[in-house]
Amino acid sequence: MNAGPIVKVSALKKRFGSGPLVLDGIDLEVNRGEFVSFIGPSGCGKSTLLRLIAGLTSASEGSITVEEVAPEKARKRMFFVFQDANLIPWRRVAENVELPLLLRGDDPVHRRECVARMLEVVGLAGAAEKYPWQLSGGMKMRVSIARALSVAPDILLLDEPFGALDEMTRDRLNEDLLAIRSRDPFTGFFVTHSVAEAVFLSSRIVVLGANPGRVTAVIDVPFAYPRQAELRESPAFLRLLATTAQALRAVRPA
Amino acid sequence: MSTTSQSRLAACLLPALTAVALIVLWYAFKAVFRVPSFVFPAPHEILAAAWDERAVLWSAALVTVRGALLGFTSAVTVGFLMAMALGFSPRIKASFYPLILVLQMMPVTILAPIFVLWLGQGLPSIVAITFVIGFFPVVANTTMGFISVDRNLRELFVMCSATRAQEVRYLRIPGAMPYFLTGMKIAGTLAPIGAIVGDFLAGSAQGGVGGIGYMTISYFSQLKTPALFATGLVACVMGFLFVGGVNWLHWRLLHSWHDSMVKKE
Repeated sequence: MNAGPIVKVSALKKRFGSGPLVLDGIDLEVNRGEFVSFIGPSGCGKSTLLRLIAGLTSASEGSITVEEVAPEKARKRMFFVFQDANLIPWRRVAENVELPLLLRGDDPVHRRECVARMLEVVGLAGAAEKYPWQLSGGMKMRVSIARALSVAPDILLLDEPFGALDEMTRDRLNEDLLAIRSRDPFTGFFVTHSVAEAVFLSSRIVVLGANPGRVTAVIDVPFAYPRQAELRESPAFLRLLATTAQALRAVRPA
Repeated sequence: MSTTSQSRLAACLLPALTAVALIVLWYAFKAVFRVPSFVFPAPHEILAAAWDERAVLWSAALVTVRGALLGFTSAVTVGFLMAMALGFSPRIKASFYPLILVLQMMPVTILAPIFVLWLGQGLPSIVAITFVIGFFPVVANTTMGFISVDRNLRELFVMCSATRAQEVRYLRIPGAMPYFLTGMKIAGTLAPIGAIVGDFLAGSAQGGVGGIGYMTISYFSQLKTPALFATGLVACVMGFLFVGGVNWLHWRLLHSWHDSMVKKE
């Protein structure tokens, strides 16, 4: 396809109503196949930036293009993983994963095959008939990821998906997310509070400062994919962790 | 295990014991104050009257149940559709909701003669009265359900590029179900009462027997007090049947997923 950036953000400003600027002058170009994390203190607008890319809210000034068109028009190539799994309580696990395919108008045979495959990928084949209330937080998030990947999006936007989970579950899901990505490649955007998570997952980390939100540092993560859990113990990983933590501390409001 | 069966036993035993105690008190009261039966009949006299009048009461009950069912069904159907309209456009809601409130504020005793003027004595008026009584709780609750759709779920549908019709079918209607069923429960409790009141105010014995409300007047004017009490007994049974039916539907539709039904350990 085209060689240009898959997502291009330029001179972006965002305010809600007549409130103060939430994001001030964001410039960002992301190429196909990258995995970009947004990290920063609360109120730095990192979730807003993600929602702007998804077209769930619109820019006040400046522009965002996804595959060279406005985000709303590129929605069929993207999917969003919401903060709290956001499953539909009256639909079973399989039916939740099926929903985007159903709404898109895929035929039932294809839907069934796709759902079975996705549940296999996230390791929940046995839970297909369960309702969301019967699942743990980690399992819900897996269902949410399976649902997002069912449409094979070019771009996957994840808004603090693992924030509410314990560290062990989170590490495990990070590893699984990368494993899935090596099979079903997508360009990833990931909002997080966790430095370790950002370093482990990303090819690039964008550090945002608050009041108003702006890019204060961009850190390239050189580790090759696929990444294994052991990467977390390597000295190079720990050094980068420290660098990122410093960049984050530099923007922390006094 | 044993604690649940114990509490279940208590749930059956306690009201039964209370009922026995009340009946004993009832007889004692009658004996001590020598209250005549045409003022306050004893339980066995009521049961005997119910047995003697069983043919009349049975057909009267059928008439009332028919009125209650028709009124309830139309209240639920029209109420649901109305709520859908109100929930989907703030402008429609602003236009109609206050007027629905006006209708709700109108006492049934005033509406009844108007309905009789328009529809005549008998079933159509009874159904209309039952409808008016059951309509509002369904509209009010269901509208609330259509309006309070989870914002995150709506965004999910936006990300799926869902059409308006898809959002209604897969999100709004199922999401409104718990509210709709709550409205339906209230309407179900009110329906037999509505039909009896309707029958009382607008009933007729044309073409056979009147309903329970009509028989209440009839027994009262004949001073058949035990039979009058028996109509109350029949009305109770009808009420329980209606509420039981709606509760069953409620359970059927929600037990698999809704917080009110799902047991958490």
